[in-house]
Amino acid sequence: MITIEPQRRALLLMFATGAAAVAPLAAELPWWALVIAALGAAWRYLCDSRSRRHPGRLLRWTLTLAAAAGVYGHYGTLFGRDPGLSLLVVLLGLKFLELRTRRDSMLSVFLFFVLLAGAYLYTQALWLGLYTVLVVLLAALTMLELTQGTGMTRAVRLRFASVLLLQALPLALVAFVLFPRLQGSLWGLPRDAHAGLTGLSEDMQPGSLGALSESEEIAFRAALPRDAIQPAGLYWRALVLWDTDGKRWTRGEPIAGRDALRPLSAPLAYTVMLEPSNKPWLPVLDLPSTVPAGARLDFGFALARNLPVRERLSYRAHSVLRYATGELDASVRARALALPQRMAPRARELARAWQAQQPDDAAIAAAALRHFRAESFSYTLQPPLLGADPVDEFLFSTRRGYCEHYAAAFVTLMRAAGVPARVVLGYQGGEHSAAGDYYIVQQADAHAWAEIWIAGNGWLRIDPTAAVAPERIELGANAVRRLAERGIVPGALGSEALARALALTSAQQILRQARLYWDWADVAWYRWVAGYDHDIQTSLLRVLGFIDMSAQVLVLLLASVAAILLAAYAWWLLKTGGSRDPIQALYARYCHKLARIGLVRAPQEGPLAYAARCRTRRPALAPAIDQITDLYVSLRYGCDTSDGAGQALRAAVKALRVS
Amino acid sequence: MTVATGANEFSIERRQLYILPTRIGLLFGLIVLVLLIAAINYSNGLAYGLTFLLAALAVVSMLHTHRNVYRLRIAAAAVPPVFAGQAARFPLTLRNSTPLPRYGVRLEQSRQVAARTDIAAHSTQSAELALPAPRRGYVSIPEFKVASDFPFGLFYTWSRRLTFDAVCLVYPAPAPPTDLPASAETASGALQARQAGDDFVGQRDYQPGDSLRHVNWKAVARGQGWYTKQFGGGAAGRLWLDWEATGVSDIETGLSVLCRWVLEAERQGLDYGLRLPGQVIQPAQGLVHQHECLRALALFSP
Repeated sequence: MITIEPQRRALLLMFATGAAAVAPLAAELPWWALVIAALGAAWRYLCDSRSRRHPGRLLRWTLTLAAAAGVYGHYGTLFGRDPGLSLLVVLLGLKFLELRTRRDSMLSVFLFFVLLAGAYLYTQALWLGLYTVLVVLLAALTMLELTQGTGMTRAVRLRFASVLLLQALPLALVAFVLFPRLQGSLWGLPRDAHAGLTGLSEDMQPGSLGALSESEEIAFRAALPRDAIQPAGLYWRALVLWDTDGKRWTRGEPIAGRDALRPLSAPLAYTVMLEPSNKPWLPVLDLPSTVPAGARLDFGFALARNLPVRERLSYRAHSVLRYATGELDASVRARALALPQRMAPRARELARAWQAQQPDDAAIAAAALRHFRAESFSYTLQPPLLGADPVDEFLFSTRRGYCEHYAAAFVTLMRAAGVPARVVLGYQGGEHSAAGDYYIVQQADAHAWAEIWIAGNGWLRIDPTAAVAPERIELGANAVRRLAERGIVPGALGSEALARALALTSAQQILRQARLYWDWADVAWYRWVAGYDHDIQTSLLRVLGFIDMSAQVLVLLLASVAAILLAAYAWWLLKTGGSRDPIQALYARYCHKLARIGLVRAPQEGPLAYAARCRTRRPALAPAIDQITDLYVSLRYGCDTSDGAGQALRAAVKALRVS
Repeated sequence: MTVATGANEFSIERRQLYILPTRIGLLFGLIVLVLLIAAINYSNGLAYGLTFLLAALAVVSMLHTHRNVYRLRIAAAAVPPVFAGQAARFPLTLRNSTPLPRYGVRLEQSRQVAARTDIAAHSTQSAELALPAPRRGYVSIPEFKVASDFPFGLFYTWSRRLTFDAVCLVYPAPAPPTDLPASAETASGALQARQAGDDFVGQRDYQPGDSLRHVNWKAVARGQGWYTKQFGGGAAGRLWLDWEATGVSDIETGLSVLCRWVLEAERQGLDYGLRLPGQVIQPAQGLVHQHECLRALALFSP
């Protein structure tokens, strides 16, 4: 086994801590920043272990400037989240080259904490919270090593650091709960703080949802009992698209006012916890009957905030699943029928034929769906690219696509046939988690469907995708993807064969359950730790009986609870710190017993002299006194440290009866 | 043999123990503050968590720093004499009568770390303070502090200045080896003394300072106790080590020569006496006698 001298051991441990601290960030930073940091560490280690000369100041400064220039070149700035963290990583790597004193090394360890906190700007998931404790433990070991150098064995160091961390946790918890949370931020966030969030874009063109269809990222969760609604009815609407230029569908000018809603069933209440999407939409089930605080209801029953959602957002919503809507006024009707002049001539021709044949609007829609089913349309997540007139190309030549293609084509056909229609973007489906009784909706569940306006009934949801690939609606986007991975085309199999094809092995079942429980823990974590803010703090304190606490009072409360906790620790540590060793304690008990009959031991009196004095005064006790004194002297001053002798002393002292 | 905390054992209590953050500790505080501001600014729950965890760790470590020195018992042990020019060494015993081990306890002597030691639970460690002893006479134990920055170096705790009733006797530095003086009384003294000493005449209880060469080791090995064998018989040759015989005018040089003679005479197993102006030590031998002679030299003042 290689023995490593303490200094080098501390260095290695420090590098390990640094690597652990930067690991959660690794995917976010440019690769060369990580390489520079690793090279800095390796260089330093080689210098130490082969006692080479450490690089001089000129070289170090050159490298530092070059690194800063590199970061500037990469980002165009040195400020903000990503450039700042990259710079910190690079400079820490170069700092390794000039660690001289213990203070240098300790400062590096402290900066690792800043790096670790940098990772929280990207995610605050449960795993990162648990991981943080691990990194802090490693850092504690490093600091112990840097301070101590000698004495403690590795096992003792690990135990001691763990004990310290365990003792710190309750104190940290108290501070976490009671430290007053402010509303809003101090100076506002750097501009790139929310880059890289995914969500539905505000318009639709063939292929725009394709990027989302691969994403297993969670879009939102909805606390909704499983039996409240059929999976096929889980249509989460986010935004309504009115206008098209022949390729893209957009929201267009917002329509003033509000459509009337006539509920035909009792509203369903549920809570949505939305992941940050950097978009303002708030997905809700068709159709929302109330508007959550801070949100607005657009004309097409789409909910949105004024600001993009940048933190997890939780809102309470009510939806009616069976409904009718109000009349259509002329201007809205015109927008719901508008098509660009030269768009899709063949589709228009087909639609006009249906218009001539069918008795009413509903029958025209049914004819369109029949057309999708009867002709050789298929559902695929890898559709061929479409050219200048995507609707015609899709309807008459490629005939392969997914929800966007079908929704766009269907709405075009309806409008050409004189049926008011619009596109709705949102999510469809979701995986129900029994662990917390909620649905998990992923970005991959993003969906587009159509609504047509029928006289007397109002807006009616029609999902043309369901006509082609009912599996997508009934089994969900994940099932379709898994089928596609096995080469099964949607619509090709019967329901039993489908169930067989989709059946999970028991290992997969366990994995799925584990994943759902983890997700549930993650949700709780977000609610109580990551998202612990002013509101949650206020409501939690109210439950604890503290109502309307100002920040000053909270700080006082925090200080007093922390002081009580610390006093308890100190009492415990110093109490055990003050206790005598067991042999000494037994001897003191013996002296105490004799003192009760007036034989008080003088401070300068040794055990032998004391025994002699007691023997002469109380001859009856002589055998017991001799036995105890002999045992005590041999335990304390002799070489007999066996447990047996200790036990004998305990028994003898206990048996001593004085009267 | 006393068991109670003797007069010379000092227990470091709360009143005698101070604690302050180190510079590293202040730096740590600064980093925690930066993290807190970041947590508030980004309203980031995990950043709050890390901030408070680190702060709590520091506070808990402060308790452990204090605890590491609290109720440590310190006693001065017997100080062995040294010769001038050597370092006076003051042995101390650090007793930890608690069930928690102490790590990296430092003895600090005028801002220098004189010793650093771990003390296991319920055990005793010895440490040493050293002070240069350039001149003969007494050297007192220096003032010192017991300090520690265990576990993380964020806090530094130190006791008030401690001192004990411990002095180190410094003998004069022995002169370079020289021959013993040949006084008339011992024309063949050395030889006689050695021959005479070969006759075993009996034994008596061992007393500290008796020559270890005369201990009855067989008896010790049998567990019968310590006895010193006594030799006698022939007329004892007596060597007088006389101040006048050194023939040196400088007092210190003369004392050095006498010191060397005492050591030499003891090494050869002679009976030797010491004559100083105003002080006479009758001839004898053994370590006690040697010490008595050297002590007289150390404390001699004309």
